[in-house]
Amino acid sequence: MTPAGLIELTIDGKAVQVPPGTTVFDAARMNGISIPTLCHLQSQTPVGVCRLCVVDTGARVLGAACVRPVEPGMKVQTNSEKVLAARKTLLELLMADHPSPCARQRHSGDCELETLAKQAGIAASRFPRRTISRGQDDSSLAIAVDHDACILCDRCIRGCDEIKSNFVLGRMGKGYSADIAFDLNAPMGDSTCISCGECMVSCPTGALTNKGVAGTALAAGPDAALTAEELHKLPVFAGVSGTFLDLNRGAIVRRRFRKGDVICREGDFGSTAFFILEGKAQVSISAPIAHVKTAGGALGFFKRLTSSLVGREQDNRAEEAHDRTIPIDASVDLAYGNPVAELGPGDLFGEMTCMNFYPRSATVRAETDVVAYEMLRNVLDIMQKNKTFRAQIDQNYRRRALENHLLGVPMFAELSPDFIEHLRESVELVRYAPGQVIARQGDPADSFYLVRIGFVKITEEYPGGELVLAYLSRGDYFGEIGLLGGGFRTATCTALDHVEVVKISGDDFRHMVARYPNIRAGLEKVAAERRAANEQRLQMLENVPLDQFLSQGLMEAQSLLILDLQNCTRCDACVNACADAHDGVTRLVRDGLRFENYLVATSCRQCRDPLCMVGCPVGSIRRRNSLEVIIEDWCIGCGLCARNCPYGNINLHPFEVLGDDPEHFGRKKAVVKQKATSCDLCTHLKEPSCVYACPHDAAHRVDPRKFFGQMLGPGGCR
Amino acid sequence: MIFDELRAIQLRCGYLPKAELEALSERTQTPLYQLHSVASFYPHFHLAPPAKAEVRVCDDMSCHLNGSCELRAELHRRFAGQRPDDLQMKNVSCLGRCDQAPAVAVNDEIFVHVNADRVEELARLAMHGDHPRAEHPHVPRVACASDPYGDGEKYGVLRRLVGSRDWDAVLALLKEAELRGMGGAGFPTSMKWDLVRKQSDPVKYIVCNADESEPGTIKDRFIISHLPHLVIEGMVIAGLVTGAKKGIFYIRHEYPLQEEIFGEELRRCAKSGMLGKKILGSDLDFELEVFVSPGGYICGEESALIEAIEGHRAEPRNKPPFPGQLGLWQKPTVINNVETFANVPQILARGVEWFKSAGVGGSRGLKFVGVSGQVEHPGVFEVPMGTSMSDVIFGHAGGIRGGKKLKAFAPSGPSSGYLPASLVDVKLDFKALADVGSMLGSGAIVVCDETTCMLDMALNSTKFYRNESCGKCVPCRMGSQKMVELITRWTQGGLSDSQFAADLQLVEDLSAAMSQTSICGLGQIVPAPIQSVLKHFRAEVEAHVFKGQCPSGICFSAANRLAELPRVGIRP
Repeated sequence: MTPAGLIELTIDGKAVQVPPGTTVFDAARMNGISIPTLCHLQSQTPVGVCRLCVVDTGARVLGAACVRPVEPGMKVQTNSEKVLAARKTLLELLMADHPSPCARQRHSGDCELETLAKQAGIAASRFPRRTISRGQDDSSLAIAVDHDACILCDRCIRGCDEIKSNFVLGRMGKGYSADIAFDLNAPMGDSTCISCGECMVSCPTGALTNKGVAGTALAAGPDAALTAEELHKLPVFAGVSGTFLDLNRGAIVRRRFRKGDVICREGDFGSTAFFILEGKAQVSISAPIAHVKTAGGALGFFKRLTSSLVGREQDNRAEEAHDRTIPIDASVDLAYGNPVAELGPGDLFGEMTCMNFYPRSATVRAETDVVAYEMLRNVLDIMQKNKTFRAQIDQNYRRRALENHLLGVPMFAELSPDFIEHLRESVELVRYAPGQVIARQGDPADSFYLVRIGFVKITEEYPGGELVLAYLSRGDYFGEIGLLGGGFRTATCTALDHVEVVKISGDDFRHMVARYPNIRAGLEKVAAERRAANEQRLQMLENVPLDQFLSQGLMEAQSLLILDLQNCTRCDACVNACADAHDGVTRLVRDGLRFENYLVATSCRQCRDPLCMVGCPVGSIRRRNSLEVIIEDWCIGCGLCARNCPYGNINLHPFEVLGDDPEHFGRKKAVVKQKATSCDLCTHLKEPSCVYACPHDAAHRVDPRKFFGQMLGPGGCR
Repeated sequence: MIFDELRAIQLRCGYLPKAELEALSERTQTPLYQLHSVASFYPHFHLAPPAKAEVRVCDDMSCHLNGSCELRAELHRRFAGQRPDDLQMKNVSCLGRCDQAPAVAVNDEIFVHVNADRVEELARLAMHGDHPRAEHPHVPRVACASDPYGDGEKYGVLRRLVGSRDWDAVLALLKEAELRGMGGAGFPTSMKWDLVRKQSDPVKYIVCNADESEPGTIKDRFIISHLPHLVIEGMVIAGLVTGAKKGIFYIRHEYPLQEEIFGEELRRCAKSGMLGKKILGSDLDFELEVFVSPGGYICGEESALIEAIEGHRAEPRNKPPFPGQLGLWQKPTVINNVETFANVPQILARGVEWFKSAGVGGSRGLKFVGVSGQVEHPGVFEVPMGTSMSDVIFGHAGGIRGGKKLKAFAPSGPSSGYLPASLVDVKLDFKALADVGSMLGSGAIVVCDETTCMLDMALNSTKFYRNESCGKCVPCRMGSQKMVELITRWTQGGLSDSQFAADLQLVEDLSAAMSQTSICGLGQIVPAPIQSVLKHFRAEVEAHVFKGQCPSGICFSAANRLAELPRVGIRP
């Protein structure tokens, strides 16, 4: 007898009774019979798309158990020969295109597809493999996407929709070309995804996996590690999948610092950000605020010259920035004259280091006992995507740094408090992922931007290529040329890394320039200068160089030191002269690329795309309109520019200065600090020392286009 | 409705720009991904600015048999070096002009009987900013034997029923007549209607499936053109019998002329009180509206069609529940083919006895069949059910073109597989065709002459399914592609005995898995073309595989080897 309200059916010969509306899959499961599946999860509405759970109900075709409701008297076979054969073929089809072992299989050995295939005895699929990759998406900091491993089971889609109500993920395209996509097929990192991790937790294969930050689980004291439960209690993590938090457990720790402890040190490489919970910390730059100056007269080259550190008060260089603030990787800026500020509860710092792996821009020391979260970038990413947290951080910025930031631009110094108050509310803080275009050349200009975090590459297209006009970093601004000029963008602005900008609307901008004529005049002057410099640079490009020329990167350079090998006796007089001229540290290495019988010595080439400028944590390297590299006084000597220069032309010059004693807080002692230097063309002399010193007339400083153009003859440089 | 919004944007901008979609998402509170997943599913929508001239060449069965491969190769040659924003050439699935092959679409306008010169002319016009329009010569209504009204007053059955209200009698008559669905599956109509009639839900729908998109299928185009009143009358009767107050006529977007003809008839009906509130002064209501498909063969699958009306990706649903229980908007829904609805007033006007006697040899009723491919007079013909295939091909369609011999025919497009000339006497009937391992389907007879390569035809048919698979379930999404790859390998020859034996086993296993586990009929029928060719034309397949020879000289030719063009809706 079947009890009232229950339905009786037979599964694999066993009579079972279940409530009406039960699926065959559940009826089997409740009775200890397991049916394999890939697309079905108990927590989600079944969709019946993988078809692995097919069973024989005696109908014309097999039915998917996960979506098939039971019927009275139904006779179900879950493992007949027909069923098993069909399942095996389906697994073979999926395995044919599966990048085995996929990321999940490699990391945790639990790819559900590979596990089922192995159970079915499939060593290799008999079907031809997919020939064209469906692509990978590396844009999210927290989750890696491998479309090749996606089996379109829709589990991520339902996780995003049904479980988390985030509505970011869906299918795109149709048939064999179907894929999953975020929003309008945006890269995951640029989409409206909030990194809750539910899709990744739902994924049966290696299509969506936890990125973690490889090999950098944070070292922590006994009470520092945070469990997933503890994390879940923090409002910022409320909407995040528990499994996801669990996977990222090592990526956030609670740190306690005693008064005087250094939390992070300028110039150090790191990969974490800090969020202060309790206590106060002091942020400062301990490197001397000065630049390298070579002293010596115009006479007597063989006299040993000396370099020294001097500030802008003693030595005001041409085109040097006159900023009064130094941008650092925190929600405050430091003053040029007194680079010290205070951070307190609710402050986040180290974002640039954490997101982009740049060196620390300043030293942070605990002023009182401090409790802070230290996190890797996957966790920072989760936090930043939390709307409340973001709003709080943004508010912090608007409250504390926006004013400094605006007033730090000398031109804006006259902005009145009421206008700044207005901007505080009306500006937008916008984030861009690496490679994302902020403004495109030719598009209508509708806003003015101030860089808050990261690097923005400004490029101008010209027939046959593009020229990098500048790399802008924190404190720099762009967009004024379009707004003041023809109303269209004259260059393309692209985020080079994780960028955040303060966006001032066109209306506010127009309002500002109307109200403050001096600002207008200043901006127009800068715009005119920028336009002129851009034009000058573009003109230099009119002749497109030869292939070999290009491949050696020589044309990248605006100015080259070349050695005529027919005349050169390898006497190294040039190297010695350079060292002599620069305090014993040579900026010239007599080695490099060869072109015909010329050796192109390694010395600053003043590249069209100056990679050295990318990533300077304090924005102290930039170039003058003459294209020569200038290193501003607040260089902290981290050496990133030296590493970035593909030609090895930037060196670090050590100086012994009086600095903070790392052992004894508050005391000073003599410490060695470094400052970056590059070939300065011996601008303090009439002719570069190396050229002057060469006894064989083998060293020359030339403009490559002119020099090689002549050498190659007409048509040589097309 | 989401499609209306998307169409409006596309009409205004030429495509669907990101900013517009973002604004639409904001305004309608629709997640971005939903807009994108729908827009990227239907070939009708462009997510990037289209070229000035979008040339789409049909290469399905009938066009393939009428030189579309050579046409494509020639166009490829002529258009070499064109800038992609000026001209893009793609393949497109069957445009429903099989009797006027080859057909191309230039900027969504369909042109028939084209050659390379004509297409080049059209493309150049489009590139210069013109909008070449296809001409629709006025075709007078053809008098059909099916029409019980002739020149007299129409809608007599409806008038009578509104008076008698004997809905049970309607169902009994349809049951007695054994009327079966004419869309392909052949499900008994009275059972479908009865199921919906018995549902207690007060809201029900009637849907007419005029989305015929299978290569060779052109009969509904003819019926809508010449007998629109029978279709409307059948739909209204279905509504009255089942208690549905709303009907939707779902027509493929490649039939603008038929949309117009049907729309005209609708307006006439509304004017004369045949439709809308209080039909003919009674208390019975039935509204009827037209829904233009955003495109794709899969929309003809009844539950995918419902999904499309609801504004989703046209992905077939898992069944049960059937549309009769939970259909459009989760309400009980009757979905029938155009011809099925047109049959209803015929039976009700003339009686079951007439219906029985209209067929020959025990078959019932009249049938519209489309004949295309290599025949003298391709077109749509009205024939008694039970007529032999040879009468249709050699009688009505005038025999094989150019005095060549018949080699094979598909009784109903790719789904029916191919039958050899030796079976040409088979009767046009549900059972007779099922007995020879084929099907009556939708009556899309495609005829191949002696110069045809059957392996090439199997590949062509399989590609059609691959291109039109919605991708929802694994067996169809993956299987159709792998099937194409396996057959392609055979057309290239050079396999050893053991390799071919292994391939045959693989095709066998794949066929079983696809027909047994696919969600809908599309995936289930994918193996039909290759299975039929292996059954009837095995020697031809083996000549390719072992000797590297195509007995018809097609598979190794330059035109055929031309790389497959990117498909509409399928990203390269």
